[in-house]
Amino acid sequence: MEITLIQSLMLGILAFFAGLDLFNGLTHFHRPVVLGPLVGLILGDFQTGIIIGGSLELVWMGLAPLAGAQPPNVIIGTIVGTAFAITTGVEATQAIAVAVPFAVAVQMGITFMFSLSSFLMSKADKYAEDVNCRGIDMINYGAMTLLGTFYFLWAFLPIYFGAEHAKGFVEMLPEDLMSGLGVAGGMMPAVGFAILMKIMMKNNYIPYFIIGFIAAAWLEMPVIAIAAGATAIALIDFMKKPEVAVSTQKEEFEDGI
Amino acid sequence: MESNKNIVVESVEDSVYEDQSIGVELTKKDINIMAFRSLFLQASFNYERMQGCGWLYGLLPSLQKIHTNKNDLRRSMKGHLGFFNTHPFLVTFVMGIILAMERSKQDPTSINNTKIAVGAPLGGIGDAMFWLTLLPICGGIGASMALQGSIMGAVFFIILFNVVHLSLRFGLAHFAYKMGVNAIPLIKSNTKKVAHAASIVGLTVIGALVATYVRLVTTVEITAGEALVKIQDDVIDKLMPAFFPLMYTLLMYTLVKKGWSPLKLIAFTMVFGVAGKFAGIL
Repeated sequence: MEITLIQSLMLGILAFFAGLDLFNGLTHFHRPVVLGPLVGLILGDFQTGIIIGGSLELVWMGLAPLAGAQPPNVIIGTIVGTAFAITTGVEATQAIAVAVPFAVAVQMGITFMFSLSSFLMSKADKYAEDVNCRGIDMINYGAMTLLGTFYFLWAFLPIYFGAEHAKGFVEMLPEDLMSGLGVAGGMMPAVGFAILMKIMMKNNYIPYFIIGFIAAAWLEMPVIAIAAGATAIALIDFMKKPEVAVSTQKEEFEDGI
Repeated sequence: MESNKNIVVESVEDSVYEDQSIGVELTKKDINIMAFRSLFLQASFNYERMQGCGWLYGLLPSLQKIHTNKNDLRRSMKGHLGFFNTHPFLVTFVMGIILAMERSKQDPTSINNTKIAVGAPLGGIGDAMFWLTLLPICGGIGASMALQGSIMGAVFFIILFNVVHLSLRFGLAHFAYKMGVNAIPLIKSNTKKVAHAASIVGLTVIGALVATYVRLVTTVEITAGEALVKIQDDVIDKLMPAFFPLMYTLLMYTLVKKGWSPLKLIAFTMVFGVAGKFAGIL
């Protein structure tokens, strides 16, 4: 079965919105169990779409984006995989094998975009300085359009030109540069923290910073436990104060924070 | 007490809102708009500020109502553009509290410390609630129905997931805002104490985040005679885990204090990362 240009474009548009839903909206219509039938609907084989979607859901269920470990991209995996399964009649598992290189490439591409869009933030700083609220809105809308377009291309190209040909695009990616930017992406939050610290760090708070670092780096405590401990320290500080009615204030304060 | 003295000094040098009168009451509609816009928290996600700009996007209509003074709005916007990362499903809980603090015109620094102190720990809670509980339940039931060829699997999945998701998102927004507003008289009369407490928790959490969010490891290995020493696994991780992330953050901090712009630091970081990769040390 051939996929027409119109169908490829529609699948691309589906990828545009599903791609946004992964980070924004979060209705989770981008999950295979929903996306599969939608792909089936576009390609005129609803029933196969449902079943492939169900099997892919089970595959990706074990791949939650926990602790920064990014699994192969679920959207491109599902759209390309389901389209391939419907057109060639192969099993879901084989369809995944075809889709995975694209899903991995897309995940790398997203890392790349998240590194590059750090540059957008100076534009945002400028808009804040000018109290330009519309500008802040536009940065967010613009970044979403970029991300959606990226998804559109990665669904459209493999489906329209065929997975075999489109693999050429994947191989063209400069791997060292991409993974180098991935390394830079991992370091990038240091810039964000440095700017925060410039505003918030006073000499008398350095010990607390050190305590937090020790708890996370050596003791490997979860952040919530560290925050709870810090709250206790803050309370000790409160109770030291000789003012009257401190104890009632403390309780109410907890509610406030 | 020494810390008391410091607080006084801080509040003078810190940026304080010019208009100290309590901001206008936000309606249910304002809170709903905020909750709706919170769906786009990660619209401009990037590794430097993470959700910072999307977070500001969510608060912006309410901030415009609260800060009628243009200088105050500017201060508030600049503060909210800083690094921020929380769980995208639970963010409205933080937003509600922060809007109440903005209404009571707490110092921007105090507000930002609170934002981080409340927001960062929600990450773990949200992961456990959504990625490890709600999604597997909805997905598991949905997939088993789909495998029998029924479209009801998809329908069931999308409805169940979003009933929980959206009621929590909007519910938390109203709940947190109300809770924060009830505390306004208290935080208004204890501004300095609130700022001090927020700084303690905020900076402790930032110390923890430096160790968890910044990722920088070396691949350098040294062959000493017969022995192969992996610098990261055998030396750094044993002596001081997250040593490089801390050093790099402190380097960035020094450069920021020297007046380097964020733009320059981002470019520096990119070159550092790519060059390190090509040189085979990162």
